[in-house]
Amino acid sequence: METLSALLHGFSVALTPYNLMWSAIGVTLGTAIGVLPGIGPALTVALLLPVTYNLDPTSAFIMFAGIFYGAMYGGSTTSILLNTPGESASIVTALDGHAMARKGRGAQALATAAIGSFVAGTIATVALTFVAPLMVRVALAFGPAEYFALMVLALTTVTAVLGDSLPRGLASLFFGLALGLVGIDLQTGQARFALGIPELLDGIDVVVVAVGLFAVGETLYNAARHRFEPEEMYDLKGSKWMSREDWSRSWKPWLRGTLIGFPIGALPAGGSEIPTFLSYLTEKRLSRHPEEFGHGAIEAVAGPEAANNASAAGVLAPLLSLGLPTSATAAIMLAAFQQYGLQPGPLLFDNNSTLVWGLIASLYIGNVLLLVLNLPMAGVWVKLLAIPRPWLYAGILIFATMGAYTLNNNLVDLVILWVIGLIGFGMRVLDVPVAPCIVGLILGPMAEQQFRRALAISQGDLSVFVTHPISLALLLIGLLLILVPMLLRRRRAAQLPA
Amino acid sequence: MTMDKGLRLGEVAFGLAVLALGVFIAFETWTMPVVGATTTVGPRLFPGLVAAGLILVGLWLQVEALTTGPVEADGIEIDWPAFSLVASGLLLQIVLLETLGWIVAGTLLFVMTARAFGSRRYGTNMLIGLLLTGLTLLVFDLGLDLELPVGSLFEPLLDALQK
Repeated sequence: METLSALLHGFSVALTPYNLMWSAIGVTLGTAIGVLPGIGPALTVALLLPVTYNLDPTSAFIMFAGIFYGAMYGGSTTSILLNTPGESASIVTALDGHAMARKGRGAQALATAAIGSFVAGTIATVALTFVAPLMVRVALAFGPAEYFALMVLALTTVTAVLGDSLPRGLASLFFGLALGLVGIDLQTGQARFALGIPELLDGIDVVVVAVGLFAVGETLYNAARHRFEPEEMYDLKGSKWMSREDWSRSWKPWLRGTLIGFPIGALPAGGSEIPTFLSYLTEKRLSRHPEEFGHGAIEAVAGPEAANNASAAGVLAPLLSLGLPTSATAAIMLAAFQQYGLQPGPLLFDNNSTLVWGLIASLYIGNVLLLVLNLPMAGVWVKLLAIPRPWLYAGILIFATMGAYTLNNNLVDLVILWVIGLIGFGMRVLDVPVAPCIVGLILGPMAEQQFRRALAISQGDLSVFVTHPISLALLLIGLLLILVPMLLRRRRAAQLPA
Repeated sequence: MTMDKGLRLGEVAFGLAVLALGVFIAFETWTMPVVGATTTVGPRLFPGLVAAGLILVGLWLQVEALTTGPVEADGIEIDWPAFSLVASGLLLQIVLLETLGWIVAGTLLFVMTARAFGSRRYGTNMLIGLLLTGLTLLVFDLGLDLELPVGSLFEPLLDALQK
């Protein structure tokens, strides 16, 4: 009951006209930016950070909730109409969504994505409301050793699960960890890897890295590739509404997608790639028309989109209650919290309960606003997709450099942005996943702190990590997550030649 | 076939870069001055682990590049002139930002990037660039109290106007 009254209080905060306005602005801006090709939710949140600098934290995070959901919806629009998924979680949507668009059923694909996202987002937010306080209770039992093990687990899953090649994922992860080392060591005040540049003493900002890898790297990549990859855009035509058959084929995938998405997203090792793929496979297996999959089956859009949104809400559970980001977007959100001097975790629920519950309440509101705004405005978003590419990418760079510069008002951030952008280009060409780097950058320093705290308590005895049962279990799961796929791959490789 | 070779070279270079970063961090960690050895775990342990990780992964990537070859068999073509144009546009912006200001440096970046994507309508692009940078400067400097640089070259001019 405590939860309910806290939530009601949250609504009373989020429903004030002032905060409602920020929520609406967030949803609109989030969709408008998220719909631009090549811009995923993580980058949208990063680019829109400067807009919130002057708000009080509660309104800022209410706006972020809107941006977050808006960006996700915008991203699915791009995947469906343009086949350019802005993040790995919408790759699955692009498969059948774009096939539907090619058949002139783009409007239905967008509608099932929007309504599915609404259904999944709402159910998942309810689940978040009740799971987050439970997680807080668990988190209170955690010491530094357990936190460290949890972070190791999160880092290994983000790395091992994404992409086809483990060494590439690991390279990206260690690069992120290396970037995280730069700056003053929190425990001893020792400057590390600052190369004599005073601006580097504060460390490298996650936002600069994310914008560099996503916006600058992506723009460089597209500049280098646009001559070879013509795009095909499909406009909306015909009936804009879902038929009775569309509805009856959509509602079960929405619910199943939610059921798959939230729990996996809420795990401290979550992310949203696995649930979308799982949902796709589930729908294909259950469908009466599996042959349609890959050629525009509406279930294949409805399920994964619901799973994507549900897991996005799920990801907020470990972020808010443990301070543990498990996706690139969550890493940026965490950076935003830190910018306000807030540290997500059990204490946040006590010290800033207005902010936390206002944020959760605004997730409900954001969902409703998104549906209300997007069904009628789909046509406007589609127009944004048609912006000529030279202007689009030139504009992206203008906003990217503006975001990086205004963080601290110095040129060093722009130089870092440039270097990271070139590296991002290289990673894109060589197919190296980007998310491990970003999560590594933000989790690395936190993991180091917990690691050293644990050892300080145990007086240098390394065995704390394996004698504490929770810590041991978490580390073992992490190890299994790396080893099992490797063994499976080896077995498959051994079977192939035969 | 040549593309295949190019990509393989890319893989080797990637592995070497990871390896080099690892060695660099190891060296920096090794030569890091140690202040007070009172804590059980100093500021050098984690960098050491990261360096070791980078070196191991770098070696692993080398082995993979030499034995299994590239993951994508068909290779990737790259338009280097377009790439360089965007990259140098960004560099120019960094060099010019504080003297010529956000509007000029940003517009230049806009025009150069648009050119890299094949647009030759310099006049129109310049106009859009000016509008975009001018608007953002206004919104951010007046509305949000953030400081995008006007440019040290123009500041005396502005001061003169305000008098």
